[in-house]
Amino acid sequence: MDIAYFPGCSLHAMALEYDRSARLVCKRLGINLVEVEDWNCCGATAAHSLDHELALGLNARNLSIVNRMDHGAVTTPCAGCFSRLKTAVHELAQSGNLTRRMEERLDTNLSRLPKVTHLLQLLMEARGPRGLAQPVVKPLKGLKLAAYYGCLLTRPHRIVQFDDPEQPSSMDKLLQALGAETVTWSHKAECCGGSFAASEPGIVIDLGGQVLEAACRAGAEAVVVACPMCQVNLDSRQDEIKKERGDVHSLPVLYFTQLMGLAYGYSPRELGLRRLLVSPVSLLKEKGFF
Amino acid sequence: MDDRVKKVLVIGGGPAGMEAALKIGQAGFRAVLVEREPDLGGTLRKLVSSFPRWENPADLVGVKVQMLEGNRNIERLTSTAVLTAERFERGFRVTLKHLNNGGSREIRADAVILATGFDLMDASVYGEYGYGIYPNVINSLEFEDRLRGWKEGAESIPKGIAFFKCVGSRDRSKGFPYCSKICCMYTAKQAGLVKDLFPGAKVYVFYMDYRAAGKGYEEFVRDVIEKKHVRYVRGRPAKVLPEKGRLLVRAEDTLMGIPVEVVVDTVVLASAVVPRADTRALAKMLGALTDEYGFIEPLPYTAVRSGERVFFAGGCGFACETQGALQQGAAAAAEVIAFFNKS
Amino acid sequence: MDTEIYTPLRLDEIDSALQRELKEKIDIDIETCLECGKCSGGCSNGHIFDYTPRKIVQLVKLGDEETLAGMDALWICLSCQLCLDRCPSGIDIPRILDYLREKAVTRGVKASRPDVHLFMELMLEEARDKGRVSEVPLMIRFKRKTGQYLKDAGLGFKMFLKGKLSPFPSRMQKPEGLKKLLSERKSEKKD
Repeated sequence: MDIAYFPGCSLHAMALEYDRSARLVCKRLGINLVEVEDWNCCGATAAHSLDHELALGLNARNLSIVNRMDHGAVTTPCAGCFSRLKTAVHELAQSGNLTRRMEERLDTNLSRLPKVTHLLQLLMEARGPRGLAQPVVKPLKGLKLAAYYGCLLTRPHRIVQFDDPEQPSSMDKLLQALGAETVTWSHKAECCGGSFAASEPGIVIDLGGQVLEAACRAGAEAVVVACPMCQVNLDSRQDEIKKERGDVHSLPVLYFTQLMGLAYGYSPRELGLRRLLVSPVSLLKEKGFF
Repeated sequence: MDDRVKKVLVIGGGPAGMEAALKIGQAGFRAVLVEREPDLGGTLRKLVSSFPRWENPADLVGVKVQMLEGNRNIERLTSTAVLTAERFERGFRVTLKHLNNGGSREIRADAVILATGFDLMDASVYGEYGYGIYPNVINSLEFEDRLRGWKEGAESIPKGIAFFKCVGSRDRSKGFPYCSKICCMYTAKQAGLVKDLFPGAKVYVFYMDYRAAGKGYEEFVRDVIEKKHVRYVRGRPAKVLPEKGRLLVRAEDTLMGIPVEVVVDTVVLASAVVPRADTRALAKMLGALTDEYGFIEPLPYTAVRSGERVFFAGGCGFACETQGALQQGAAAAAEVIAFFNKS
Repeated sequence: MDTEIYTPLRLDEIDSALQRELKEKIDIDIETCLECGKCSGGCSNGHIFDYTPRKIVQLVKLGDEETLAGMDALWICLSCQLCLDRCPSGIDIPRILDYLREKAVTRGVKASRPDVHLFMELMLEEARDKGRVSEVPLMIRFKRKTGQYLKDAGLGFKMFLKGKLSPFPSRMQKPEGLKKLLSERKSEKKD
């Protein structure tokens, strides 16, 4: 199947490994990701925080490009971009005035709006656990994982309409389909500290620390994420978190697509495993994955 | 005029149904009281105590059952459910099914009183509380079982219990917009009972308001707070987290505007009152009105009549306490008796 | 807890203009608030907010725009949506904060957390100039403006070693279409 693909700014930079692994596994699953032509930044937190109309405009433009692509649907691996695109669709659908204003600004037609999914959602909907298990050549047996959804993947529920915001299970099911064990834990859908990584790192140390502690308490050996912000927040400050909170041991934080790639037989280099700050290599070697 | 003695089918053997059947039998008409459980009493059978007088509900059930047994006009059919019902001539034709031996039987009735009672909503939609995930997050009816176990001397003395009110009630987002009326009272009762059994236990009730609109109700709740020392915290809890084998509750104390946490062993959810599952289907078969939630609706300017020859009483009409169920049962019976005497 | 001297609030002299404004402009009716506190209880940053979400809604009811514009919570709300998702009345508190923040900035109210504000503005500038945001140019600008060159230097170095800091930022090929959208924003703000 063909689908429009909105990588988002991070996937072309800090989260390159997410983009690479996503493309590899989608290809293996027969999903052709067609990058949205000359897409622009979704605005992330900054836009909606300071200029709501801009936030809408940025994404209305992206949506209008997807419309021209004739796929009718777009998927994105970043929870932040997903939230912004989905919110734009929701707001446009609710207000004829807004839609007309955007149509004038962008000189485009927005009467039809594409379906927006997060990559995790797309894979579960288009392939399901059975389809996702099919290409597995190296089942992830023996790995105890904490599936971390973060706050925006499933919220606000009335807009996103994906999975359960308080007890989500789609990533757990995906990881189980790959042969891994997932833990029941308390912080699977709590916030990691979002976009404050640069401006208020204390918040990330606090909230990210709570998430990692909870994962440790539940006996997880690694945390699995579906958003580049979550990954960077949880991956990059573990030393500081240990100093502040003490109750955490090093936990590798991997993208779910990297784990899929591992199970599908791709090499650590292809999946960018060494780009993660807290290295998963020794854990994976110990479990016999390479 | 029809000389045959008129017969009323009362569906549901809780306090509302028992009272209705009793009045009908005492008035000289025939009543068939149908109850799907093996014993009469309805929800009262599950309760360990009652408000506002801390009485044993089993005593009330015992008294009513004795009076029912002593009246030859009343036929009691337990372990029995209504399979089908349809209008027939100037009444109804109903098939009853015995739930143990599977046998069925057809009866005619000149009127029907629906008294099928209430249930508690499924709280698993509140994933933030972990109902259905953490074994010690339970609803109020399930908690009555625990209370009974403690009263009868079971082990596992609780060190801390938190009661959450308004789970699913007064909620336009995930639950029902209405107030379930009885939870403030029965939660005070349950919390008070825990303190009676285990004075050293830490008992919290998380509330938005407490509604004690009844005779002796306000005094009852104040007694639980002031004499039994149950700690009431104003704030709807946001989340329940597992914490070293126990449960951590996060909320805001809205009176101070500060975040608070407690660690307890059990969380009891006072979940919204909903009609029993079979009520809607029965209402349809009998031509009774229901509202958007499935509760039986009265006809305009009436209190307990929902259709032609169809009446109702108790929890199936909306949340009500025992006293209300008895009152409505008697009212429904009076309506039927008046109707029979007229025709 | 600090003790302050309070002048009693004259409720009959408060106007509900702000409440009406929210209803008109962003279709949020805070009258539906049950004051239950579930928003505050689960707020990710509630423990460091000067005003918890429930209090923020109450401030709107009391028409206290000055406090709302100057409060710290305005700038450290994560927009995590937990409050909105759990609110039994579905009140969109993150959206209320977005609205109040945008209004405060337009009126020139200084942010309680200037670094947070600055970072967001710089990010929007990056988006305007290149159509996409890359960490390296953004961080360079942020560090220059805040003078905090050494902060997180160790982390930056680690990231560089892992190849996470790309010297070739991703850009749009034709950022002109976007510039039109963004320049209109600036001109509207000037009016």
